Amino acid sequence: MSSIRGKVAIVGLGVTEQGKLPGSTPISLGAEAFKRAIADAGLRKDQIDGLLTMPGTTSPEGPLNYLRLGEALGIDPRYTGSMVMGGGTAGALIQNAVLAIEAGLADCVACVFGDTARTGGSRFSRASGWGDSWGLWGMFGAAANSAVAASRHMALYGTTSRQLAEVAVACRYHASLNPNAVMREPITIEDHQASRWIVEPFRLLDCCLISDGGVCIILTSAERARDLRQPPAIIGGIGQAYTTRNMEREDWWYVPHQKEALSRAFAMAGVGPSDVDVAQLYDNFTMSVLLWLEHAGFCGVGESGSFVEGGRIRLGGDLPVNTAGGNLSESYMEGWLHIVEGARQMRGECGPRQVEGAETCLVTGRGMTLNCSNAMILHRA
Amino acid sequence: MTKNTDKPAAPQRPLPTIDNSNRPFWDGARAGELRMQKCCGCGHIRYPISDLCPQCLSGEFEWQRLSGRGKVFSTIVFHQVYHAAFAGEVPYNVSLIQLDEGPRMFSNVVGVPPSEVKVGDAVEPVFDPVTEDVTLPRFRIARAG
Ligand SMILES: [Zn+2]
Repeated sequence: MSSIRGKVAIVGLGVTEQGKLPGSTPISLGAEAFKRAIADAGLRKDQIDGLLTMPGTTSPEGPLNYLRLGEALGIDPRYTGSMVMGGGTAGALIQNAVLAIEAGLADCVACVFGDTARTGGSRFSRASGWGDSWGLWGMFGAAANSAVAASRHMALYGTTSRQLAEVAVACRYHASLNPNAVMREPITIEDHQASRWIVEPFRLLDCCLISDGGVCIILTSAERARDLRQPPAIIGGIGQAYTTRNMEREDWWYVPHQKEALSRAFAMAGVGPSDVDVAQLYDNFTMSVLLWLEHAGFCGVGESGSFVEGGRIRLGGDLPVNTAGGNLSESYMEGWLHIVEGARQMRGECGPRQVEGAETCLVTGRGMTLNCSNAMILHRA
Repeated sequence: MTKNTDKPAAPQRPLPTIDNSNRPFWDGARAGELRMQKCCGCGHIRYPISDLCPQCLSGEFEWQRLSGRGKVFSTIVFHQVYHAAFAGEVPYNVSLIQLDEGPRMFSNVVGVPPSEVKVGDAVEPVFDPVTEDVTLPRFRIARAG
């Protein structure tokens, strides 16, 4: 496993405009992101021999997205496929790309996502659960599962809504420094407290955006990366962990498998939480950031609420988190932009939101209610 | 395309698809009982309903009547309408119930304002007919003693 450490790098980043983009399609946005990413990397289209994709929520072709996008790009890859793990997909695809490159199945892999969730009216309201689903009891939507986690965390550890607000406020502050972010107007804890309930204990400002946009991330071997246009972001370690169980697992709400994904990534990279200079933590809801902080070992179990107080996860704090604004304020690209921002921080190209001297970044992803999780350590070259 | 001049029907709330695998659960609810599957191989009481025991993979089981008593494991309140059939019900409570016999299930705690339900509250079942064929197991705060 440790043989993968430092062998593969992120070398190309392509991000379209984000937000509300009428007239776009998931394919058009994915293709535009791809064009920007190969230009960023200094690669030609015919040098991309791996294509891994995530279908947009509005992509009619679903898991056949890799074929539609490949056709649109005129690519005949050596290695391809689509994966559907919601917010866990981006990280899992990047890890597949790492393995494919390390195994010699592909030289340059483009990972691509395009979505028109905003203009397409995706509401992420599907009921989860078994058989006929928990919708029988009115349990719908993505927010509910994380709200269950927040409610129990609050009851067990005294975590408060104002502490959740710290996450929203930090992400929005970072987005205010990001010209491509959708929500750039700074907010306060009081703004958060005044926002309407969605699913108690979550208010509107605990919830991520719904966005249109496209993202492409290109990877190649660290050796080859040296000859390309941009400073590479070296992948130090990767890890994944899943649970397929929910009711059958008492600790499901706490997403304990995240801890396994993190410890695998840390172990492979040979680093620990104290080595992390900046973190991009999957934030479908504010509570998710708190859980990541505990699972990564930045603080103890139940301590994440007080950990985030006083601006600790803002730029200038001990651990800047989601420095581009995250799903909460930059754009809801289901975690793809967390990887982009991690790589940019390692390039040192983030301008006013650059974490000075940052050499190690943690990036996490989570999807399908609470079930899919992954983590990745990036290093400055 | 024919033009539909009728008023749209009131949105139908989600209902279970009752089949041989889950009929004892829904028959039980109509009879005022919470029934779940107990594995004959290892004794594990499982939920959700499934053909095999997720602990030991035995396919042998019997339906067992549970007390239905338990505690609120986590509790949330829906204000957002995600399904049109619930537009008239918000705000409503959804709670994850830890049953005394072991399993956990999502349901509703009714009979008190939805935000007053607290983690740790003791609950007991109520059986709420929502159609002629379907009765939903729900919960209320347990009476003292
Ligand atoms: Zn068994």
